[in-house]
Amino acid sequence: MSIAGIRRAGIFFAVLGLLGLGVVYWLSFFWVSTEAAQGIAQRIFYVHPPAAWTSFLAFGIAALTSAMYLWLRDERLDWAALSAAEGGMVFGSIMLITGPLWGKIAWGTYWTWEPRLTLTLLLWFIFLGYFMVRRTTDNPDQGKRYSAVVAIVGALLIPFIHLSVVWFRSLHPEPVVIKPEGPTLPGDMLTLLLTSVGVFTTLFLGLFMLRYALEGLRHELHVRARRAAA
Amino acid sequence: MYRIAKSLRWVLPIGVLSVLLVLGAVAVAAQTSSATAGVGGLRAYWHVFIAYAIVILLVLGWVVSIGRRLKDIQQRLGE
Repeated sequence: MSIAGIRRAGIFFAVLGLLGLGVVYWLSFFWVSTEAAQGIAQRIFYVHPPAAWTSFLAFGIAALTSAMYLWLRDERLDWAALSAAEGGMVFGSIMLITGPLWGKIAWGTYWTWEPRLTLTLLLWFIFLGYFMVRRTTDNPDQGKRYSAVVAIVGALLIPFIHLSVVWFRSLHPEPVVIKPEGPTLPGDMLTLLLTSVGVFTTLFLGLFMLRYALEGLRHELHVRARRAAA
Repeated sequence: MYRIAKSLRWVLPIGVLSVLLVLGAVAVAAQTSSATAGVGGLRAYWHVFIAYAIVILLVLGWVVSIGRRLKDIQQRLGE
């Protein structure tokens, strides 16, 4: 697919995702029932886990494409890794801000150094390092290679983050959807949560494509400049 | 004047979204039973409002950031 085609697809999915976000907000405020034990604060649940899922998906894509870049040395894989990592930072920030907002109401504290929270913050900082490594190396190719290694190391944390609530004594709630005996949420809450996960994923894919198209155009500009200089 | 109007073009949609969020919070308050309304008190409503607003701000921030960079690159490619 050409860069222009990717850009058009990106705009389509991003607009679809933004409209979907409006629908999720409407359903969250006007349709879904209020959870009895946690009250109104439970509604943060419809943006926090979807943001977490999307950030893990983005960091996973960044790690996978980084590994393939180290193997094949195809620039397009580096563009994909960079675009996914940027999306992972955005959705990771949403996860790290909305979680404590819920935690203050449910636990009485914004933050506690329990395994899942600590590992998630570490993941966010590792990907912050991904961008710092890219920008601070004198040789751009070297920066791409080093940052690819950082992305792979960072993504290794994702399975540990998911399983940390099972392995360790933790304040963070255990999974309510992805569990062996099936989801344990009431029907309307599960429907809204899954809708929100779909919307966040669509939004990410749309913006990821647009970000990838941006890198493609940058490359084109770079090639033109080199030709002009020659 | 044109530049000010151009820079303010994002204010209107964000303002409309904020008003919708507040209206949503009011609607939630109206439909919440008295048994669950007290959990977390008024602070819980603020936290829900801030969480939903943060999602909009960060997502729109990324959209605007990508849009600006794309526009800039396209202008440079057109020169």
